[in-house]
Amino acid sequence: MEHGSSKDLTASTFSLADEDHTLANSVRFTLNQDPRVTFCGYSIPHPSDARVNIRVQTTGDPAKEVLKDALQDLMIMCQHVRSTFDNAVAEFRTSKTVEDMKIK
Amino acid sequence: MDGVSYQRFPKVKIREMKDDYLKFELRETDASIANALRRVMIAEVPTIAIDLVEIEGNSSVLNDEFIAHRLGLIPLTSERAMGMRFSRDCDACDGDGQCEYCSVEFHLHVRCDTDQTLDVTSYDLRSSDPSVVPVDVAQHSESTGYDASEQRGIIIVKLRRGQELRLRAIARKGIGKDHAKWSPAATVTFMYEPEIHINEDLMETLTLDEKRDWIESSPTKVFGLDPNTHQVVVVDPEAYTYDDEVIKKAEAMGKPGLVEIYAKEDSFIFTVESTGAIKASQLVVNAIEVLKQKLDVVRPSEETEEADDQFGELGAHMRGG
Ligand SMILES: [Zn+2]
Repeated sequence: MEHGSSKDLTASTFSLADEDHTLANSVRFTLNQDPRVTFCGYSIPHPSDARVNIRVQTTGDPAKEVLKDALQDLMIMCQHVRSTFDNAVAEFRTSKTVEDMKIK
Repeated sequence: MDGVSYQRFPKVKIREMKDDYLKFELRETDASIANALRRVMIAEVPTIAIDLVEIEGNSSVLNDEFIAHRLGLIPLTSERAMGMRFSRDCDACDGDGQCEYCSVEFHLHVRCDTDQTLDVTSYDLRSSDPSVVPVDVAQHSESTGYDASEQRGIIIVKLRRGQELRLRAIARKGIGKDHAKWSPAATVTFMYEPEIHINEDLMETLTLDEKRDWIESSPTKVFGLDPNTHQVVVVDPEAYTYDDEVIKKAEAMGKPGLVEIYAKEDSFIFTVESTGAIKASQLVVNAIEVLKQKLDVVRPSEETEEADDQFGELGAHMRGG
C-alpha cells in the first residue's frame, strides 16, 4: 500500500496494489458508515493495472487512522460472520438429525 | 479513536445444505459485504488443478495442448488447498513448483488394444496424494448415494486400436482470478429479499377473472388465489424476479398501486453451488478467511513505511484480538 499527501493528514488517497472492487467497495462502505468521514470514494485508474485508489477525507482525525479503524471493523465483522455461519451450520445439522429421527 | 464503532453484526440462517449446494440468508448487512463475499467465493478461494503436463507419448486424435487443457479443467478434491503453498512463493523447491508443499503429481498411461473405442477418463489419473483426486473418483469411492453404474468419470480423450496416451501432470494451488479452472464455485448468487404489500382494498375492487388475469401476468409463481375466500395471496415472495410485470399489469388495468414491492436492502439470500472441489459450506468459510487475509495484508509499502510505523502493527493487533 502506498499513501499520498503528507501535508494534510485529514485527507489522503491510499493506493492499494493487487486489490480490486472486492476489498475497495467494502472498505468504502465501512468508511461511509463512520461519522468522522466527510468524503470517501474509490477508483480503479486503469483496468489492466491491479490497483485501487481509496480517497478518505475526515472531519479532523488522521485519514490513515480512520482507514485503519474501517479495516479493523471489517475484520471483526468477518470474524463475526464466520462464527455465526459455523453456528448456523451446526444448528442446521442438529435440526436435520432430529427431523430424520422423526421420519423413522 | 477510542472504540466508537459503527459496524453491524450480520445474522446467518441456513436454508438448505448439501455437499455441493448451499442456500443461506445473510441479514443486517450491506450489498458491498455480500458482493465481496460472492466475488471472493468465485475468484479468490484457492483450489488445486492440473497446471503442468509433460506428454511422454500421445498418438490420440487430440493434440498435446488440447489434452493438457482438458486435464486442467478436471476438478480435484481440494480440502488441502488452504494449507498448501502457491508454487510462486514456495521456498522449498526454488520456484520450479514440484515439491510436496506446493504440488501433487499425477500419472496417466492408457493404451487401447481392442477393436472397441476406449474412453480415457479421470479414473485413469493416478494421484501421488490420496487426498487430491478427481472429484467424481472421490464420490465413487465414498459411494454417497450416487449410482455407481452411472459414474464413468470425466472423459479426457477416446482411443482406437493401437493408440496410446502417456503423461505426467503436476497439479498446483491457484485461484479463479488467475484461471477459471481454479474456481471452486459453479455458481454463487445472491438476491435481495422482496417485501410485497398488496393493497387489499383496491384488490377487492377486482372481479375474480381480473384477479386471475393479474396473477397470471407474473412470469413466475409469486401470487395465488385462496380457493375459499377468493383473496389474492403471496405464495412465494422469493420467486419474484424484480421484473415489474405485475406492477405494469396493475397500471394497464387502471389500478396503479395495487401492489408495492420493495427490495429489503439489508437482507440477502445466497445460493452457492460448488464444483465438488470443496464442500459448499467450506467454500463460504474459506471465503471469509480469504477476505480476512486481504484486510490483514493492507499495510504501507516500503517507501511509506517510515511515515507510519503503526500500520504494520495492525496485523499483529488483529491476530491478538
Ligand atoms: Zn514447492
